[in-house]
Amino acid sequence: MSKLKHISIVIILASLGLVMLLDLNKIPNQFEYANSIYHHITNNAVGETGSLNFVTAILYDYRAYDSMGESTIIFGAVSGIVLLLSRKTLPVSSHGLSFIVKRTYGMLTPFIFLFSVYIIAHGHLSPGGGFQGGVILGAISIIFSIVYGSEFDYKRYTPTTKTLLETSGALLFIGIGLIGIIYSGSFLSNLNILNSEPGSLLSAGSIPFINLGIGFKIGAGLAIIFYSMIQKTFKEEASL
Amino acid sequence: MIILKYLLLIFLGVTAYLAISFKEILISIIFLSIFSIVLTTLYLIHNAPDVALAEAVIGAGLNTAIFMTVISQIRADEDCHCRKDD
Repeated sequence: MSKLKHISIVIILASLGLVMLLDLNKIPNQFEYANSIYHHITNNAVGETGSLNFVTAILYDYRAYDSMGESTIIFGAVSGIVLLLSRKTLPVSSHGLSFIVKRTYGMLTPFIFLFSVYIIAHGHLSPGGGFQGGVILGAISIIFSIVYGSEFDYKRYTPTTKTLLETSGALLFIGIGLIGIIYSGSFLSNLNILNSEPGSLLSAGSIPFINLGIGFKIGAGLAIIFYSMIQKTFKEEASL
Repeated sequence: MIILKYLLLIFLGVTAYLAISFKEILISIIFLSIFSIVLTTLYLIHNAPDVALAEAVIGAGLNTAIFMTVISQIRADEDCHCRKDD
């Protein structure tokens, strides 16, 4: 019986792989169409958006509305998880790891924070962007709860602060989109104020500000998800 | 570089198989994070540093932490039930 199950699983996986391989052949070759969007972006993206990183230019300028949808999905996920899992119990537990690990992580934290801020701020110049830097920001909070015990971070950086940061990030994104309506008539159009030469830190119009908003939103959102997941242990350990 | 690419592809398949072949879930999580690191290197070789950064941060870092936490939560729950039965 289990052999039949295994064989059927292998057959399903093989046929799925075959279908994906056939689909891959249907994707047009990027060099076939001379006037395709690929050529438009590689030739004009620096002039139109001012961003040297074309991936960020597509994500937060040409397709910024899609990115707003993605961040809305994360907002919905955070809201759902908090609604299902959060309990109003104060964390009393878990003394963390040894002294050496605590000191080492304490010395490393400013550099991790600097790296995440660098990735967010240079999203339009080098690989990275708001999403990647924001996940590192959230990871700082998560490693704090593992190394120092869950009470340490919770007391200093309460869920209210996290919610405030997440909401302000989302509001910054939508606000830039609304200013775009006033400025040039379309939602999330690039504001070309505060522009200098492409390649400097304050170039690319509104892309760095959108990166900042996305970074705060993602970092705070992931920290909220993590803390609402570990809150249950607190209560049990307190009762034991 | 081509030899490295094919070596990494083979290693990717091996780690993906090892991740599902163990009964102990903790070992599977560790192999999943190794899978993510190998995938990060492959993305870098294929000139996609943005995706590589996202994969390194989420796949190798955050996923492992969240999976470990969930596993420890489930085990804590099971321990509690055992104590109640005793």
